[in-house]
Amino acid sequence: MPTQPGPISADTRSGDYKAVGGKLLRVRMTVTADNPPVIQTIRITGDFFMHPEEAIEDLEQRLTGAPLDETALRARVQAFFAGDASPEDVQVVGAGVDDFVTALLKAA
Amino acid sequence: MPAQEWRLLLTGDMSAFDNMALDEAVLRCVVAGTSPSTLRFYGWEPSAVSIGYFQGIEQEVDLDVCREQGVDVTRRLTGGGAVFHEHDSEITYSLAVKDDYPGIPKKVLDSYTLLCGGLVAGFRRLGLEAEFKPINDILVNGKKISGNAQTRRFGGILQHGTLLCDVNPQLMFSLLKVPSEKIRDKLIAGVEERVTSIRREVGTVDNAAVIEAMCAGFSEVLDIHLTPGTVTDEELVLLERVKEERYANPTWTYKR
Repeated sequence: MPTQPGPISADTRSGDYKAVGGKLLRVRMTVTADNPPVIQTIRITGDFFMHPEEAIEDLEQRLTGAPLDETALRARVQAFFAGDASPEDVQVVGAGVDDFVTALLKAA
Repeated sequence: MPAQEWRLLLTGDMSAFDNMALDEAVLRCVVAGTSPSTLRFYGWEPSAVSIGYFQGIEQEVDLDVCREQGVDVTRRLTGGGAVFHEHDSEITYSLAVKDDYPGIPKKVLDSYTLLCGGLVAGFRRLGLEAEFKPINDILVNGKKISGNAQTRRFGGILQHGTLLCDVNPQLMFSLLKVPSEKIRDKLIAGVEERVTSIRREVGTVDNAAVIEAMCAGFSEVLDIHLTPGTVTDEELVLLERVKEERYANPTWTYKR
């Protein structure tokens, strides 16, 4: 049997959420067949602002491997916003911790 | 304290790739200290769509229609939304300063308030009741007339934005993706309600008068003195480099 690149059971999920008075967050991810599913790959796009911009890749990396569970997702988003392990403060304009968590859960 | 000396650049119409590359080249030279703080005004030829740094290009832009219409597409260094920059329908400005420039707030949201204040003052000089609407818009009579975006990098602040002269929502929504065909007409009608233009508010568009008003507005709000200048050789070399690395490079534009 030929081997497939990546896990065979991966499942793609997506969802959009517009922060109240803020910007649109669009989440696309692949998740495992586990219960709860685990994020394998994730892309967060939208018209928000994040300074420095490259920090988005750090956030996506922190979310990779996270179970789709509100507590786990919130902890990872919060850690990113709190700036632990980041060389400089991250400023996000147009969306906050709750908005990112809501967008992730909507996509889930 | 005497007014700070800034350079005014009027670079006319250029391609999206040159425009975005020149904004970055100027920012880098301002930070390096080889160019003074700069306010620039420009236009777009051909018409182009720019998307925000974080946007997914396939999610936002109908690339086939852009190709058919001869509309260039590029990704900005700044966040924010997709913008259709129509030739002869928009005056765009950009402003570049060092990030420790006195009086510019460290908090991005606060700095939008200050810098957009220059535009608000400019619109008022044109006789328009303009107001800043956080996060990054300027409204006239309750409708959006200007959208703005900022980045902070290399040790500097770059803010650029649009001054809408004419609106063409039909063309705009043929180039940008809409959530469903069913709501395309609704979105077009929504633009008529939510967006306005200098032509609609003033009756005519005199580009030179608009730019003069904006220069006066920024001079007043930032206490600066603008002297017309030119793009330096160093900036031109950098322009070509960052255009190739980013704005005209599919790896950059299609990265998300």
